[in-house]
Amino acid sequence: MATLVPPPTTTTVPPANSNSAAAAESEKIDYMKLPCPIPYEEIHREALMSLKPELFEGMRFDFTKGLNQKFSLSHSVFMGPTELPTQSADVVKIPTAHYEFGANFLDPQMMLVGRVMTDGRVNARVKCDLSENLSLKANGQLTGEPHMSHGMANFDYKGKDYRTQFQFGNGALLGASYIQSVTPHFSLGGEVFWAGQHRKSGIGYAARYNTDKMVAAGQVASTGLVALSYVQKISEKVSLASDFMYNYLSRDVTASFGYDYFLRQCRLRGKIDSNGCVSAFLEERLNMGLNFILSAEVDHKKKDYKFGFGLTVGE
Amino acid sequence: MFFNRGGGSIPADDGDGILSRVTSSITESPIVYQGRRAASDAAFVAKKLLKSTGRAAWIAGTTFLILVVPLIIEMDRDAQLSEFEMQQASLLGSGPAPPAGTK
Repeated sequence: MATLVPPPTTTTVPPANSNSAAAAESEKIDYMKLPCPIPYEEIHREALMSLKPELFEGMRFDFTKGLNQKFSLSHSVFMGPTELPTQSADVVKIPTAHYEFGANFLDPQMMLVGRVMTDGRVNARVKCDLSENLSLKANGQLTGEPHMSHGMANFDYKGKDYRTQFQFGNGALLGASYIQSVTPHFSLGGEVFWAGQHRKSGIGYAARYNTDKMVAAGQVASTGLVALSYVQKISEKVSLASDFMYNYLSRDVTASFGYDYFLRQCRLRGKIDSNGCVSAFLEERLNMGLNFILSAEVDHKKKDYKFGFGLTVGE
Repeated sequence: MFFNRGGGSIPADDGDGILSRVTSSITESPIVYQGRRAASDAAFVAKKLLKSTGRAAWIAGTTFLILVVPLIIEMDRDAQLSEFEMQQASLLGSGPAPPAGTK
């Protein structure tokens, strides 16, 4: 940049020309040096981050205590109504309260996370790098109810400009996905999966275009799902996101639009969707390691109003 | 049907005087009937309209309360904070640099 500024005095034209030519030269895409795309399952990452905060109803308190650099313990308490799945349209809620104890081990090569809840659920997650390019991700859940426990393992291979993933799960679930960078900003991918227990199989395709200012992603699958998302970064603090979901088989359509504000003291996310549902999620930093959370969700159609607050201590 | 009833009632009221005959013929005239019907229809529509605008206003208001009010408050807080920091910096800027760093 510093070399570019002086010339505009007198003999501007030749250096500027050569500069722009050099710029054009570097603009020309080297197809052997494409960047590595992001994993197939995360192609909607930015949109999901802005549009799908962890909304909750009631009170929650999370406390994380680091015992040493790699090991930490977490405690969390939740109190509030939880929704019961029902056949009818109206909402049924029962008051619940539970405590969750967790232990985390974080290391650059290895991540182990375990959670135990008072209702008897045990959750475990493992992520470890087997070699430079190959990593293993696994998670499992054990519950007291029959047929609700499940386990899954993913092998991710990260290539120079592509990524592949193999997935194994209980219930004879098998899956594979592949994503490849086509140009520096554009990547294309596909997946196949087979669920032996439900005798279902499917195939899906995805495309993603990202620049510094925007991210657009689209996905279709043979399960009938069409998902499109678009995120526009207005500035480094503000981004606007929208998404569109259409299920070809059940004829469900949902479109939503949201904003995501990063301010120095807080992060605020708001969303409105086509089902008449408005939600906002505020994370306010009160102090170092002390966060206050407010969550609001109003469903005008179902007349379902959910408000929650929480505190996060530690981290 | 209306005319039949009106025609039947007028001879019966004959002896009661001209005033009641005129009033009854006015109140039972098709114009008054239609006018009354139109008025009740208008009232019904107005009531419905008022109700739906009220509901729309309620939805718009609560949506505004959830989506926009926190945003305004937080942006205001952020602006205040940066203004405060600017003031602090301009106050300390004339003095020595280290206090501003240690602050």
